[in-house]
Amino acid sequence: MWVQLMPVLAVLSVLFGGALVLAVMQSLGFAPWFGVNTFPDLSYFGALWGSWSFWQSLGLTLYYAIVSTGIALVMGILLALAMVRIFPGKSLYKYLYKLPLMIPYTVGIALAVIMLGNGGMISRIFAFVGLIGDPSEFPQILKTHYGWGIITVYVWKQTPFVTLTLYAVLLGVGRETEEAAAILGANKRQIFFGVTLPQILPGIVSSTLIIFAFNIGAFEAPFILGGGYPDTLPVVAWRYFNDADYTLQLQGMATVVSLALIASAILYSYLAFYRSFERRIGRN
Amino acid sequence: MTKVQLKGVRKDFGSFTAISQIDLDIESGELVALLGPSGCGKTTTLRMIAGLEVPTYGHILFDDDDVSEVPVQDRNVGMVFQRYALFPHMTVEKNVMFGLKVRGTPSGEIKQRLEDILDVVQLEQFRHRFPAQLSGGQMQRVAIARTLITNPSVLMMDEPLANLDTKLRGEMRRFIRELQQRLGITTIFVTHDQVEAMELADRVAVIFDGVLAQYDTPEALYQRPNSVEIADFMGANNIFDAQVSNGVAKTAFGDLQLDTDTKPVRDGTGRVLLRGEAIDLLLGEGEASQNVITGKVTAREFFGATVNYTVDCKGETIIVNEQSRRMVDVGQDVWLTIQPQRIWVIQDAA
Ligand SMILES: Nc1ncnc2c1ncn2[C@@H]1O[C@H](COP(=O)(O)OP(=O)(O)OP(=O)(O)O)[C@@H](O)[C@H]1O
Ligand SMILES: [Mg+2]
Repeated sequence: MWVQLMPVLAVLSVLFGGALVLAVMQSLGFAPWFGVNTFPDLSYFGALWGSWSFWQSLGLTLYYAIVSTGIALVMGILLALAMVRIFPGKSLYKYLYKLPLMIPYTVGIALAVIMLGNGGMISRIFAFVGLIGDPSEFPQILKTHYGWGIITVYVWKQTPFVTLTLYAVLLGVGRETEEAAAILGANKRQIFFGVTLPQILPGIVSSTLIIFAFNIGAFEAPFILGGGYPDTLPVVAWRYFNDADYTLQLQGMATVVSLALIASAILYSYLAFYRSFERRIGRN
Repeated sequence: MTKVQLKGVRKDFGSFTAISQIDLDIESGELVALLGPSGCGKTTTLRMIAGLEVPTYGHILFDDDDVSEVPVQDRNVGMVFQRYALFPHMTVEKNVMFGLKVRGTPSGEIKQRLEDILDVVQLEQFRHRFPAQLSGGQMQRVAIARTLITNPSVLMMDEPLANLDTKLRGEMRRFIRELQQRLGITTIFVTHDQVEAMELADRVAVIFDGVLAQYDTPEALYQRPNSVEIADFMGANNIFDAQVSNGVAKTAFGDLQLDTDTKPVRDGTGRVLLRGEAIDLLLGEGEASQNVITGKVTAREFFGATVNYTVDCKGETIIVNEQSRRMVDVGQDVWLTIQPQRIWVIQDAA
C-alpha cells in the first residue's frame, strides 16, 4: 500500500511540502541565494506585524473575501432553489448561468472596467436616460476601498460555482422532504430553514470554503480594481516580490506565510465549528 | 372527520395526460384503496388531494367545500410517502414533533402528544435515533406517527407497505387497519396489490390508465367486476365468451343457466366469469342437476390448504380451486357444476 503510494507521495511532498518549507524558511531569513542568511530570524514578521498598514491590508483582504463569499452564497442558494423548480426558458437559463465559470477572471475584470467605471457603459446609460448629467458624475464603484468592483467580479464568477454545487446537492436531496414538510403545515420559510437548509449544509460549507480560500488569496481583481494603498495582502506581497530591492522578497514571503496562517486558522475554525454543529444535531 | 370528493378531475403534465377523468366520493371515516397497475395515476391522484398538484380541470371537495385553491399547508391532510420522506437530519422525536412545532403548538402539549403517539406506534426506545439508523418498518411507523400527531382530517398513504417484507407487511396491515378504525379517520391508500386492497379497504377504486374503472366494495369487485380487465387484475382466470339469451349463456363447453333475478343480463354477446372456488368438482355423473360441464383433469397444483385443478372441457380450460380435503388424480374424468347465482356475466355497456 505505502510502497505503491510512494511515487505520488514523493511528488506531493516535494511540490507542496517543499514549497511550503522553503517559503517558511525564507520568511525566517534563509535566502543564501540573495546573500541573506540570518535564519532563524523573526524580524521580517516583526516588521510586518508591527506596521499598522499590515493590519489594514489584512482587514481589507478579509472584508472583500467575506462580503463576496456571503453574497455569492446567498445568490447561489437562491439560484439553485430556482433551478430545481420548473419555469419557462429553464433549459436556456441552465446554460446561461454557467457562462462566468468558463470566462477567465481577467476577462471578468475587463468587463467590470468597461461596465462599471466612470465613463463605462452603465454610467453612460445613466447619463443617457438623464439620471445623471454627465458620465463622470456616476458614483465611484471601482478603485475604492469599499471594493464594489472587486466584490462584483468575485460574486459574478463564484455565484455559478455555488449554484452548481448546491443544485447538485438539491437534486440529490429531492423534493419529497419539502413536500412532506408542507403537508405537515410548514410555511415556505419554515421549510427552507428547517428542512432544506440543514440538508444542503454540507454543500454550503464545502463551496464557501473553496471560494473563500480563493478570494483571500486572489490577486488580479484587487490589483486592478482596488483602491490603491493600503492594498490587500496578496497585492502587498506581489509589490514586495516585484521590488527592485530583491531582499524585500523575504518580507514578501513573510506576508505570504502570514496570509496562509490566517487563512488556515479561519478555514480550520469554520470547519471545526461546522463539525461541532453536526455533532450537536447528532450526525457524524 | 371529512368527506372527500373528486369531481371531474383531470391532470395533464404538459401534453401528457396522467388522469383523464376521475369522479370519486369518499365517505367520512372510510378507508379507500386506490388500486391499479404502475403508472396509472395513483400517486398523482393522491398528490392532487393533498394539494401538491393542481388539477388541470375539475374540483376537489372536502366536506362539500371546494379546496382546489387551498394551499397544501392549510388543507390539514396527512400523507405517508412511498419512500417515507423522513427528515434525515432530525431524530425520530424531532421528526414526529415537526408538524406541531411549525403550527406553533405550545411545547407542553407537544410533549404530551409526542408521548401518546410514540406509544401508539411503539417507538419509545427509538426516539433519539436518526432515520438512517432505523429499519424499514420502524421508518414507516415514524412516518405514520409524524402524520397522525397533527390530527389530519384525511390520511393518505402511498404504497405504505411496498418496501416491507412479507411478515412485517402483514403486521403493518393490521396495525394500519386497527389504527384507522380506532381513530375513524378518512383514509386513502395506494397499492398495486389487489390482496392488500381487498384486505384493508372498505371500498376499492380501480384505476386504469388515468380512468376510474370501477369503485366498489372488495367483495363486489371480486365477484362482480364490470370489465374483463378488472376481472383479470383481480386475479380471475375463468373468463369465457358466451352468447346470452333468455337467461341462458351458451358457451363452448355447454349451456349455463343464469340467475337473472339477482343479476339481470341483456341478450347478446358477453363473457362469463366463473370463480374457481365457486365451481364444484364431482367424480360421478348425475350428482348435480344443472349447469353440468364434463371434462378431464389435466393438471394439479397443490398450495397446501388449497389445490387447483386444471380441467379441460371441450377445448376450454377451466381452473377449479378447492380445499385440499381430497386429491383428484390427473387424467380423471370429472363433472363440474356451478350455481346460477355464482355466475357473473360481463357485458359491454349498452
Ligand atoms: N411531474 C410529472 N411530469 C410528467 N409526468 C408525470 C409527472 N408525474 C407523474 N407523471 C406521469 O403520470 C403517470 C402517472 O404517474 P403516477 O406517479 O401517478 O403513477 P402511479 O400510479 O403512482 O404508479 P406507481 O404504481 O408506479 O407508483 C405516469 O405515466 C408518470 O410518468
Ligand atoms: Mg406511485
